[in-house]
Amino acid sequence: MCLTLCVCVCEIVIVFRARSVSQVPVAEGKSVQQTVEMLNRKLEQLGAVKQGNFCVDCETYHAGAIGSPGQPPKFLYVMHNSEAPLSCFALFENGPCLVADPNFDVLMIKLKSYFQNAKSNKVESRGARYQYCDFLVKVGTATIASSARGITVEVEYCPCVTANDCWNLLMEFMQSFLPSHVPGVPSVFGVKTDGVYSPSDTMAQYLELFSKLRKQQAATGSGMR
Amino acid sequence: MEAPPVAVMPVTGGSIHMMEYLLQGSVLDQALESLLHRLRGLCDNMEPESFVDHEMVFLLKGQQGSPFILRARHSLDRPAAPWHLRYLGQPEVGDKSRHALVRNCVDVSASHSLHDFLLEMGFRMDHEFVAKGHIFRKGALKVVVFKLFRILLPGNTENTEPLSLSNLVELSVLAPAGQDTVSDDMRNFAEQLKPLVHLDKIDPKRLM
Repeated sequence: MCLTLCVCVCEIVIVFRARSVSQVPVAEGKSVQQTVEMLNRKLEQLGAVKQGNFCVDCETYHAGAIGSPGQPPKFLYVMHNSEAPLSCFALFENGPCLVADPNFDVLMIKLKSYFQNAKSNKVESRGARYQYCDFLVKVGTATIASSARGITVEVEYCPCVTANDCWNLLMEFMQSFLPSHVPGVPSVFGVKTDGVYSPSDTMAQYLELFSKLRKQQAATGSGMR
Repeated sequence: MEAPPVAVMPVTGGSIHMMEYLLQGSVLDQALESLLHRLRGLCDNMEPESFVDHEMVFLLKGQQGSPFILRARHSLDRPAAPWHLRYLGQPEVGDKSRHALVRNCVDVSASHSLHDFLLEMGFRMDHEFVAKGHIFRKGALKVVVFKLFRILLPGNTENTEPLSLSNLVELSVLAPAGQDTVSDDMRNFAEQLKPLVHLDKIDPKRLM
């Protein structure tokens, strides 16, 4: 069981947690790809070893035909994580999370007249996977409809499953390679009653980041370099 | 900590078109032991497993005529086991000479948050029951002999009463679409259970 923290680092905006978003100008002339390469080089200099690639994706389903009129539309998110290749995660924002096997995707096809797949809203983060002692670091380029929208950094401390016990250690480790902007405690850590971390907490963090990216895309209306 | 393979997992044609071939029958309580004895002899040599399951049937009403039905099932005697979600399509109308009922089937294993998740999706529980019985296997054939119990207070699986004096017997196979030899194998197996139990294809629509 691993503990994961996700951070979204964008060209213009660095996102900590849902409530504190700060704008930090990045040096001129840097693209998303260049920033990702810079982070990868920093990790390699630290001594991290690249171990394959990773991919996290998120599809949005819109509950059109159900619910009483006047209710806001419900969005169902179906996510996949290459770290758990035989699982499929289904979540409602601030709602329950279901962990199922890949046949859940087949079931969503059967449900297509009740839940429509908003294909243009598909968000993916792909990149390299690094191992450094007990840490796993994944630096990914987040894309919406094939255009790069930001950078996600996932840091996992593998030996520990109790969220609040190792937050300080995670933060210290991140300071060693992230450019001076270490995020605050993720909101999922706060709501845990027994403190035991699980893969669905990772997906909830990714969902939060992806939702932010989508909102930024809607706000700016233009792509990033 | 090797990286798991990064695979784009496309939904293959095989998973969408899994079909359940089904034959059903019933035996009275008095005949149950004889049937179990015969099944122990005919089926694969393993300890017959007993089970106590709680099944809930959920409906999603949309704008279309008939609601979408999903069956969520979990074990009462093995509480750590994952929940099981099942979608069953309409029986295929076709070849009258086919010996078994054939319908599309999608099986999903899910975490224990399934009940709350289905409610959040908009499903509402239509009915629930407890099933207690035994499961046997012969190759790909699955034979389940079980008794249905009515739940007296909603959500309380301790307080149940038997629905009838019989046990339901189901012979089923899960196979990709188009494998019609499956129903021949099922009929041959069903022959060996006569006269203890007569297994037939029973069209649920004719019972409505």
